[in-house]
Amino acid sequence: MAVFLLPAVLFMGAVFLLPLLVVVYTSFSEGGFTLQHYRELVSRPLYLLVLKNTLEISGLSTGLTLLLGFPVAYHLARQSPRRRAFLIIFVMLPFWTSILVKSFAFTVLLGQNGILNSAIAAFLGDGAKVKLLFNRVGVVIGMTHFLLPFMVFTILASLLTQNPDLRRAAEIMGAGPLRIFSRITLPLSMPGVLAGVLLCFILSMGMFVTPALLGGRTDIMMSNLVDFHVRETLDWGVASSLSVCLIVLTAIFTLLLARVRGGQLVPSD
Amino acid sequence: MASSRTPAGRRSAPSRAAGFLAWAVYGFLVLPSLIIVPMSFGDKDEFQFPPQSLSLYLYEKYFFESNWMDATFESLKVAVATTVLSLLLGVGAAYGLARSDFRGRKFLTLFLLSPMFVPVIVIALGLYLYLGSAHLTGTTLALVVGHTVLTLPFVIVTVLAGIRHVDRNLEVAATVMGASRWTVLRRVTLPLLRPTILVAALFSFLTSFDEVVVSYFIAHVQQQTLPVKMYSSIHWEISPVLAAISALLTALSLVTCLAVAAVQRDRQHG
Repeated sequence: MAVFLLPAVLFMGAVFLLPLLVVVYTSFSEGGFTLQHYRELVSRPLYLLVLKNTLEISGLSTGLTLLLGFPVAYHLARQSPRRRAFLIIFVMLPFWTSILVKSFAFTVLLGQNGILNSAIAAFLGDGAKVKLLFNRVGVVIGMTHFLLPFMVFTILASLLTQNPDLRRAAEIMGAGPLRIFSRITLPLSMPGVLAGVLLCFILSMGMFVTPALLGGRTDIMMSNLVDFHVRETLDWGVASSLSVCLIVLTAIFTLLLARVRGGQLVPSD
Repeated sequence: MASSRTPAGRRSAPSRAAGFLAWAVYGFLVLPSLIIVPMSFGDKDEFQFPPQSLSLYLYEKYFFESNWMDATFESLKVAVATTVLSLLLGVGAAYGLARSDFRGRKFLTLFLLSPMFVPVIVIALGLYLYLGSAHLTGTTLALVVGHTVLTLPFVIVTVLAGIRHVDRNLEVAATVMGASRWTVLRRVTLPLLRPTILVAALFSFLTSFDEVVVSYFIAHVQQQTLPVKMYSSIHWEISPVLAAISALLTALSLVTCLAVAAVQRDRQHG
């Protein structure tokens, strides 16, 4: 049976693993072995600022996504399967929609003369307009929109595995709905919440399109800096060392995620 | 958590609060798709919401003017090839993983799924340096290969989950009756997996058709894909044609998403 595996393994070895090794190699070489690309990363304040940006934006977006995603997962979990199948389309549609379509829609929605600001100006006058685009607000809104389906599906899966008898038992013994939620539903959903948070954090750290299109010049993230070095300065060494840092960062959180999921990267059921 | 009501028939405070917030979030989730549609029927080269009068002007521009269509065909070509390649590699790999037991199987699974957790920009840079040194950037083959790296893990995960629903006794029965391993796969397992494979195919197609980061790194200016052209257009000067393209892409996403939902519902009931 293992013979069926061979083509995929060879393919991934040739066009995924080898290119990654080339990145690692490039990050350490300049004629011969060197640490100069990494030294440049720690010596210039720009790189530390972008690292700080990346962590801040990722944390902010993940937190906001949890705040908005948990109620949705909870709401979906309490519907009849039929109604849930219908409502879940609201979460699946953005998941299947191109990030470019979403980014375009947000530029139209959030721009200085966009739909939202036109509405604000119509009611409160021009002075009340707010800057929602090409700054951190825009990036966080765009990223939260991108991350929500991942968070909702992860938490929903964990809510649906909860044994309803536990809640029924608590109810019979006189617990009110708030108490049932805070003592049973919420604690039991924690592994799902943790998995969702880690997954969203991993995804946000590597975001490229959203900060490039919705963020300001000072809100660039690590991915955008990699792009900048490939395209503008043609400095492949620094682009590669940045990439290695990004891989190490995501790998740490991916290992944590695998741990939360009992040793598997992807839930098996 | 099937019942949404307490025995007395009134809804509890947490579920009412969640319901209110949930509907607000549903609104936020579909809002971008919703505003695209009326905008795409605008009749001018500037943005107006809602448009003053409805027309197909932007659609005409997309279909008949400039080179948006070339980019669309390039994307279509790449997406079809990517779908075929990821299914060929992915279905086999998932079958191999599910139906065999050997040392290092877990490690191999981890390896095959790992592109899901590596930032796309790093994969893009790797392919750019690696294929660039072989002078393969700027070819359709390079795009297909690059996209397959991204779609293959998802095909494997989807098919692995699907195989778990396939009754192994059917395969055993076929083997007992003298079918070869290959015949079992072709005549028993694959037909049972048809809905799963359909979902995996839709996913690969749409992922490749919408992929921008890898394409942006390894495609040449002359063979832009639709997403790369859209990216440049949003980045440098927003063209109103984007509204028409976005509306069409949203329709494509909606159809795909409904198809997947239907397949998954059938599998649960069937």
